[in-house]
Amino acid sequence: MGVAANHVFKSFGTPATRVLTDINLKIEDGEFVALTGRSGSGKSTLLYLLSSLDNPSQGQVIIGGQDVTKMTSEELHNFRNQKMGFVFQFHYLIAELTTIENVLMPAMKFEQAEKFRGRAEFLLEQCGLKEKLGRHPRQLSGGEQQRVAIVRSLIMSPKYLFADEPTGSLDTLNGDLVMKMIRDANRENRTTVVLVTHDSDFAEQADRQIKLVDGAIVID
Amino acid sequence: MIFLAIRYLLERRRQTILTLLGVFFGTLAYVGVSGFFLGFRGYLIEQLVNNTPQIHIQARQDYLTEHQLDSDFYEKVFAHVFWRTPPAGVLGYMGVQNPQEWYARLRADPRVEAFSPSMTAPALFTQSKISVSASLIGCDPYQLSRVTSVASYMTEGQFTDIAAGGNRVILGDELMKRLGAAMDRFVTVTVGAGAPVPFKVVGRFYTGSRGADLMAYSAITDVQRLNGTPNRVNEIGVRLKDYHLSAEVASDWAALMPERTESWDQQNPNIFSVFRIQDSLRFSMILTVLIVAGFGIYNVLNMTVNQKRQDIAILRSMGYDTFEIVILFFSQGIILGVIGAICGLIAGYFLCRYLQTIQFMGGPMGGRQGFLHISLDPYIYLQAATMALLSASIASILPARAAGKLTPIDIIRQGG
Ligand SMILES: Nc1ncnc2c1ncn2[C@@H]1O[C@H](COP(=O)(O)OP(=O)(O)OP(=O)(O)O)[C@@H](O)[C@H]1O
Ligand SMILES: [Mg+2]
Repeated sequence: MGVAANHVFKSFGTPATRVLTDINLKIEDGEFVALTGRSGSGKSTLLYLLSSLDNPSQGQVIIGGQDVTKMTSEELHNFRNQKMGFVFQFHYLIAELTTIENVLMPAMKFEQAEKFRGRAEFLLEQCGLKEKLGRHPRQLSGGEQQRVAIVRSLIMSPKYLFADEPTGSLDTLNGDLVMKMIRDANRENRTTVVLVTHDSDFAEQADRQIKLVDGAIVID
Repeated sequence: MIFLAIRYLLERRRQTILTLLGVFFGTLAYVGVSGFFLGFRGYLIEQLVNNTPQIHIQARQDYLTEHQLDSDFYEKVFAHVFWRTPPAGVLGYMGVQNPQEWYARLRADPRVEAFSPSMTAPALFTQSKISVSASLIGCDPYQLSRVTSVASYMTEGQFTDIAAGGNRVILGDELMKRLGAAMDRFVTVTVGAGAPVPFKVVGRFYTGSRGADLMAYSAITDVQRLNGTPNRVNEIGVRLKDYHLSAEVASDWAALMPERTESWDQQNPNIFSVFRIQDSLRFSMILTVLIVAGFGIYNVLNMTVNQKRQDIAILRSMGYDTFEIVILFFSQGIILGVIGAICGLIAGYFLCRYLQTIQFMGGPMGGRQGFLHISLDPYIYLQAATMALLSASIASILPARAAGKLTPIDIIRQGG
């Protein structure tokens, strides 16, 4: 199981510029992997491929034993909803919704908000947002917003968590808090984590580091 | 998704209200204008089918053709006659040729509600030194009241007071005034070359139409005697059980009988072209309003889709699919359409109810002081609602589809 890439290539545009070259990797269930590399090396591109948001130009991506390009749209969307969590550099909270509503948004796809409310409150409390359940994103600090985004990505207890520089726009203190949440999810729920990061301190907290240079894996 | 759609609408309250107002006024205008036009139309038709017979059967009139009189003048001497001034005019028949046959036919026809033969003659009414010429209509008042609403316009006396005959007359208000006549006094009536005969004034009617109020009613036997034409009938008025059938029935009879048979709508073709103009005016006006309202929805949704690209991206990454994103935006347009339409319909209804309380004096046909006739036909409301929803749907579907086509990856790459 886990996430695997077999001979994955990715090019953009015409004429094609190749961004990823022959990527082969296997991430086991429960692993915590950090993707590192210089800016422009293709980290984000690889993350989107591994997480089904984008499709490879060549090669195969297997998530949980299934080839994502062969899943029906419904299967893929249900899989994303139930099994995957995403965190990006920017929080992407919905401005019109409160903290708790934002967190419960994934559960609303199948009208299960009430079922998950307890868990949402628990997770928010754990990361120090107990008092801010009813606040709107604009009433929260950047660090708080990102914590809410991480709780949202974890609300469905996903098997896979994909994070693209979640600490990129945060100060060290908030960055540490966010990293702790991700680590806890990995330790306590055996959530498979793929984390893109510039920061070597954060990368070191992972079980395994994969370094990209010019679209190829150089250190695994 | 609907929950989020409502949140979006509530957050940009100003735009939401402005867009709602567009739909609101569109529906309101449709209901108000249609109610007014259709009410007026219904009133006019009602007046027409009630105040005059729905079908007129009148003495035949043929137009002379050039050679129709050749044989009368020249027998068969000439094969062809060239007229310096060809004979022209109408070949008039003085009355309905076979009234008894008509009566039998009318009695047997199940579509006929009532009919009334009459004899109308141009008459000179004189009171002391004043003379006024006017139509004198001889009728059976009992029969005529079943065909038209003439009896309801009586302001003095009873319409049936002329039934017994004996030279009694009911004068129209205008005629009464011009003559300076009064109830229970006598006026002298002269028809054609006949001798003047005194008639007793037993009633007065007022319809509000000057032409109609310049007439007089009397018993048919009195008019026939005055005119020196006993038993002659020059018009039979007919009322049908369903006035919508008038034209059809009139054409049926016209094919069978020699008399000129015309229905109320055949006699007034111009009002129907006016109706058609009103309709096209009404529809184009409303179309304009709704297109404007539709553009309002379209613009607002387009802007929202652009502003909410990040939301779309994150929702897609949570597993919401294209269809759910389309619904998120489409439903906003529909909510605006439905709420705007409902408010417009309700306000339109009350506007119509208010207009109904406005008084107006005398119409083109109808007389006594009345209230503005406004149609509250549910069909108008159905049409208005359909048009509002249709324009809202068309306006929403394009931005909603565009939103559905956005992929999360494109949005995230652009940094939102
Ligand atoms: N849609 C696209 N079209 C064309 N080129 C693209 C596209 N997306 C990414 N690239 C290119 O692919 C390369 C890798 O981009 P990617 O975003 O994966 O880098 P990254 O390693 O995540 O960098 P950073 O650390 O700055 O986020 C870059 O050179 C970028 O210009
Ligand atoms: Mg990147």
